[in-house]
Amino acid sequence: MAKQLLIVIPAYNEAENIECVVDNLIENYPQYDYVIINDGSRDKTIEICRRKGYRYIDLPINVGLTDGVQTGMMYAYEHGYEYALQFDGDGQHDPSYIAAMLEAMETCDICVGSRFVDQKKPKGLRMLGSNIIQATLRLTTGKKIKDPTSGMRMFNRATMKAMAENADYGPEPDTLAHLMRSGAVVKEVQVEMSERMAGESYLNFSRSIRYMTHMCFSIVFIQWCRKKVALKGGIKK
Amino acid sequence: MSLALQIVLIAVSFFVLLFVLKKIRRSQLYIDDAIYWIVSAFLLLILSIFPQIAIFASELLEIQSPANFVFLFMIFMVLIKLFNLAIELSVQKHRINRLVQKLALMKDEEDHPKD
Repeated sequence: MAKQLLIVIPAYNEAENIECVVDNLIENYPQYDYVIINDGSRDKTIEICRRKGYRYIDLPINVGLTDGVQTGMMYAYEHGYEYALQFDGDGQHDPSYIAAMLEAMETCDICVGSRFVDQKKPKGLRMLGSNIIQATLRLTTGKKIKDPTSGMRMFNRATMKAMAENADYGPEPDTLAHLMRSGAVVKEVQVEMSERMAGESYLNFSRSIRYMTHMCFSIVFIQWCRKKVALKGGIKK
Repeated sequence: MSLALQIVLIAVSFFVLLFVLKKIRRSQLYIDDAIYWIVSAFLLLILSIFPQIAIFASELLEIQSPANFVFLFMIFMVLIKLFNLAIELSVQKHRINRLVQKLALMKDEEDHPKD
């Protein structure tokens, strides 16, 4: 039987949250496989993984989110998984929506767990960034992605392979834009997200601004000159 | 170009040459990477021994002083090197991360052989 889904959980200094997130997956969603990608954490993340007997891959140094997630994609591809899900280790994502995302994968290459399919996007400074990225995505791909910054994304084998084999395919909206321009079909499924359970969010105000400008520049100026990637066995438009 | 500047440039080019050769002797610099420094030291030497080159070029480009041409030339050389270093740094980063990924995946394969 082909293995269906691998949940890839990148973890960098997530000792406070990882136990809760993974225990929930093990207890309530044993039908899904998962793997933790410990990205050279300096806290007790790896000790917790060992003590609890979690399935983990231990990167000896910190390589950053892009290459951390890529490690998970490599693993999923090599082990023959049909789908790979990028899933936060800080408890923001709710696994109860995975089933709906899996269902959506029948007709798309990438499924984004989106907060704003049925629900209206709240106004505010944080959402302004999301709107700007949405607008640049629309400008460059002609498609509307309502929650481009959502970190809950599911990939099929075609897009998983692209993520695993190519350099600099960060788990971010710019990669989404690039894959869409290469012909990937992207769908959104409504999900709920919670605030992180513990620890400080990586994105403070100045980092958010940097992230946003970085993404917009990348989508508008860099992605269009990138070579399109061949997506073999993807969904036909 | 003043004589003083000429002397300084000649001294600097000699100093760079000596320094690079010393580093190669001690194997602290690959020969491949040293060539840039040796060539640019030579170019600087030629520019300082024959100020006519700088005078001619500055007239051609309508630069006020030949010394400014020398500076412009050096800035361009430095920019090219800087850009090449940035590329090399990205390549190194990529290679290190790939190695780390492979290492971690191999370790996992050892602990949990594929069925």
